[in-house]
Amino acid sequence: MRWSVARDHDMVRAIVGHILRKRTGMRACVAGFLAITAIAGATGLARADRRASAGAPADGEWPMPAGDASATRYSPLAQIDVANAPRLRPVWSFSTGVLGGHEGQPLVVGDTMYVVTPWPNVLYAFDLSRPGYPLKWKFRPDVSRAAIGAACCDVVNRGAVYADGKIIYNLLDGHTIAVDAATGRPVWETKIASVADGQTVTMAPFVIGDRVIVGASGGEFGIYGWIKGLDLATGRVVWTGHNLGPDAGMLIRPGQFHPPYVSGAELGVRSWARGTWKHGGAPVWGWISYDPKRDLLYYGTGNAGPYDAEQRAGDNRWASSVLARRPENGALIWAYQFTPHDSWDYDATGAMILANLTIGGKRVPALVHFDKNGFAYTLDRSTGRVLVAQPFTDVTWAKSIDLATGRPVVNPAMQTGDTKGDVKGICPSLEGGVSPASPPAYSPRTHLFYTSTNNFCMDYTVHRIAYIKGTPYMGVSSPYTAGPGGHLGAFIAWDATTGRVVWKDPEPYPSWSGALVTAGDVAFYGTLDGWFKAVDARTGKLLYRFKVGSGVVGAPIAFRGPDGRQYLAIYAGIGGDWALLAGDTLSDDPTDLRAPNPLLENLASRTSQGGMVWIFGL
Amino acid sequence: MRPRRTQSGRSSGSRWAVPALLVLAVAGSRGATPAHAPVIAAPGVANPAHIAAGGLPPPGPVVRNPYRGESAIARAGGKLFVSMHCSDCHGDAAAGAVGPNLGDGRWRYGATDAAVFRSIYFGRPRGMPAFGGVLGAQGVWVLVTYLRSLPPPADQPTERFSRH
Repeated sequence: MRWSVARDHDMVRAIVGHILRKRTGMRACVAGFLAITAIAGATGLARADRRASAGAPADGEWPMPAGDASATRYSPLAQIDVANAPRLRPVWSFSTGVLGGHEGQPLVVGDTMYVVTPWPNVLYAFDLSRPGYPLKWKFRPDVSRAAIGAACCDVVNRGAVYADGKIIYNLLDGHTIAVDAATGRPVWETKIASVADGQTVTMAPFVIGDRVIVGASGGEFGIYGWIKGLDLATGRVVWTGHNLGPDAGMLIRPGQFHPPYVSGAELGVRSWARGTWKHGGAPVWGWISYDPKRDLLYYGTGNAGPYDAEQRAGDNRWASSVLARRPENGALIWAYQFTPHDSWDYDATGAMILANLTIGGKRVPALVHFDKNGFAYTLDRSTGRVLVAQPFTDVTWAKSIDLATGRPVVNPAMQTGDTKGDVKGICPSLEGGVSPASPPAYSPRTHLFYTSTNNFCMDYTVHRIAYIKGTPYMGVSSPYTAGPGGHLGAFIAWDATTGRVVWKDPEPYPSWSGALVTAGDVAFYGTLDGWFKAVDARTGKLLYRFKVGSGVVGAPIAFRGPDGRQYLAIYAGIGGDWALLAGDTLSDDPTDLRAPNPLLENLASRTSQGGMVWIFGL
Repeated sequence: MRPRRTQSGRSSGSRWAVPALLVLAVAGSRGATPAHAPVIAAPGVANPAHIAAGGLPPPGPVVRNPYRGESAIARAGGKLFVSMHCSDCHGDAAAGAVGPNLGDGRWRYGATDAAVFRSIYFGRPRGMPAFGGVLGAQGVWVLVTYLRSLPPPADQPTERFSRH
């Protein structure tokens, strides 16, 4: 008996050794391939090719998260218009097999639609040229389960980007991966973030020329927030720019950094008490845009941490801000802070939409941003100066934005902190007047912006808290209350030149989907209770709706199919913060029962979890 | 009625505390020599939900909660639950947020003190951090005692909806 056991062990060892040798060989093979692609990527020809690809996409495609580099989510397709939209119908659907919140949007490149799911970040490629749109391939990365616990607000993914024959996206566990768009084979994979340090990755990468721009979530885990530029050909990290801390780490180069309202060195250190910038948050989990004329990329940063603002006295630059950098080397050119000394979890990671607007008779290169703090800002994107800033929902934390200083006029009664006790009646809630996960759209035809909004207020109690690596760094209790008006959300049209709501479609539940607007003057969005809706972009009149099975937290897109016809695609799949707030919409874990949220009465009677991709057409 | 987290998006409870000091304070409150020697965790904590191959449970050390049923320890555990950031994931009163509800009387990894100890001490693969290193065995048992003291709700309200 003893002999036979020993022999079995020897056999097992032999088998293991054989497998290990094979694996090592495979690794060497991949390294060789990467070296070859690195050399190929360095040629000038390839570079010129990719520069061209950073321009406007073909009108029937959707190759990047917002459709274009200006983040407009505008489609020039006009086959589906106000007259025929009532005849829309679902033409196809597909279950992703994943239950997490389906934020983000599909891509369409050529005859293929690409879908990336929440963790475990499966990538599907659908062949739009064949009946029933069967899969060309399916890619399942080896992504760590440990990342689930370091994701603050569900294991979402906000999408992929296409460039240079590759589909590039982020894995929750801190990797950026590039997959051959034709074959589904991985081309490169780069570790960009550390889950052990509370960093996860949920944002969609953005490609400008040779650079893949990525950032990490972790504003609830005390990270030292950053954004990175990777090399498109190899995935190598070319630069890392922090959003706070010392100038050198922020890639502030002498004479290049010109924030519009402040000056001086080391602002990212001096605006934080006692070195608190080291765990100050300012993550990058939203959207990125790019202006080729100014060669600037724009992105927003998330909240400062911990939630107790008294532990980090100062303005806390550049949390809750918009930053403008050079994509090639990451150099910081300007920054503007929407919410100095953030005391309400007002992330500024929402989209920075680039549009040329006429304000007071003058043509202005504008950047429009709907902030969690309830104000919509129209900035001059050359300088970062505020041109218009008006509330788009009920706001109590500040009275207005002072255009001379760029600073909010904060209501002192709404200032939170560990000595302030329970501060009641703060509007908007920390879910935001709009969630940064719900990107707006802009139509150059109507000159209007379209966005989901939330109508929550909150009470806010914070306590002092110690940093424990790998655990949340929050220290808050923030129960919500319904905002005024008898509805918890709305889809609105906004005039960014004057700062006013043009029309408003109230929703019974918070509105959490992204927006799309087309040259047919139809705007599209989805609702938390699972309706996909088409409305007249000029009036807000409902033209069509269909129940897509689960609440919508993703963003619709438009594309032209291989048959020449216009289609719309959208995810269903409730989740994101709603996995926390409406826990009774969960059904898949018999050991995790949640009480209904009285504020979201009956939401779970109208929807449950379940990831789906839908296509609509005429 | 057990206090229940309702509409809080991000939540946790009360006081400032340097966590390691609080662990010591909890231990110290029981006198210089604890009434029960701390139990050293070792691999092989039994989970009764596991199916033993051949009907033979694997032998392992017996792991016993030294504070089982002690209400003062449970109260201290409630404070530790906040100061160690447990509530930031599992919600106020452990009613569930990013992490599962720990007060519903249902246990993913087994309904014993030993199984709960193992989850906290060693962590779990879906991102539950291993707190054994920072809390030690004693601190973990204090948390276990708190969690096991939470009364499960009388009924599960999620399956009924009002008329609308």
